[in-house]
Amino acid sequence: MRYVKWSLIAALVLFVVGFLHYTLPGRDIVRVTSTETRRIDFGENSIFWASADVGTAANPTRDVRFINAVRPNGKVIVYRNEDTGWGWPPYFKLDSSNLQAEADDIKSTPEAPKWVVITHYGWRSEFLTIYPNAVALRPAIGPDERLIPWLNVVILAVLAGLVFWVWRMLAQFHERVIEPAWIRFGNWRDDMRNRFFR
Amino acid sequence: MLAFLKLAVFLAVALTVVFLTVSAYSRSVRRERLEEEWDEDPKGDAAARDAFIEDGMRDYEQGLRRRLIWLVYIIPTLLILLLIYFTNYS
Repeated sequence: MRYVKWSLIAALVLFVVGFLHYTLPGRDIVRVTSTETRRIDFGENSIFWASADVGTAANPTRDVRFINAVRPNGKVIVYRNEDTGWGWPPYFKLDSSNLQAEADDIKSTPEAPKWVVITHYGWRSEFLTIYPNAVALRPAIGPDERLIPWLNVVILAVLAGLVFWVWRMLAQFHERVIEPAWIRFGNWRDDMRNRFFR
Repeated sequence: MLAFLKLAVFLAVALTVVFLTVSAYSRSVRRERLEEEWDEDPKGDAAARDAFIEDGMRDYEQGLRRRLIWLVYIIPTLLILLLIYFTNYS
């Protein structure tokens, strides 16, 4: 029984951490090599894709913009560039076309690299054919610019605060509503017992 | 447009639930504090205690603290507007 309990807790923690890791913004320093648009037929992996451009129709198949890039260590990374629109995750990204134009504008070659900081969320997985979604990009100072995720620090602190607050509210509800109800119920039960089973 | 309406409706429902819960919590905390305040230094019988608490709750209903709970609607809406601006226009 103890193993079941700890397995469930571990699964829950893993899910929450994974969810946050997928959803919160991350930043990479990369060099954009090219951009392209491919048609994607969404299958089992459809949950890992965002939405069609805001205002356009949602079809089971559509063209998706991609940004191909290289990391300073020489490994490649491919981003998708999709609107999240009014859906999840709440980035409210409506400007995929503009971002694609920006990425096109800053393309560079290995001989004359232009490093950029790409903000993104999501994971790259070759097994699921999923890509992180690029949200914004800006020129980097250099390939070894130090990035401190202040926004994530703030978001996680606010989330922790909200969890604490919900806990406080539940404690207050328990103390002021549930416990008195139990006491009233106990009194009523004793009352009945005294009346009928003397 | 439909996606936007979906967001608006879900957000309105969710924030209303939060608003009602926070209101109930805040009221409960205030009532508890009034009870404790009276019990530390009682100035009369049970009827006087009830009157003291009801009086305090009336003050609360008209006070600033209760109105601050409207921030439950205001802050998320402002955050969304800020996010739209920073994601798309900067």
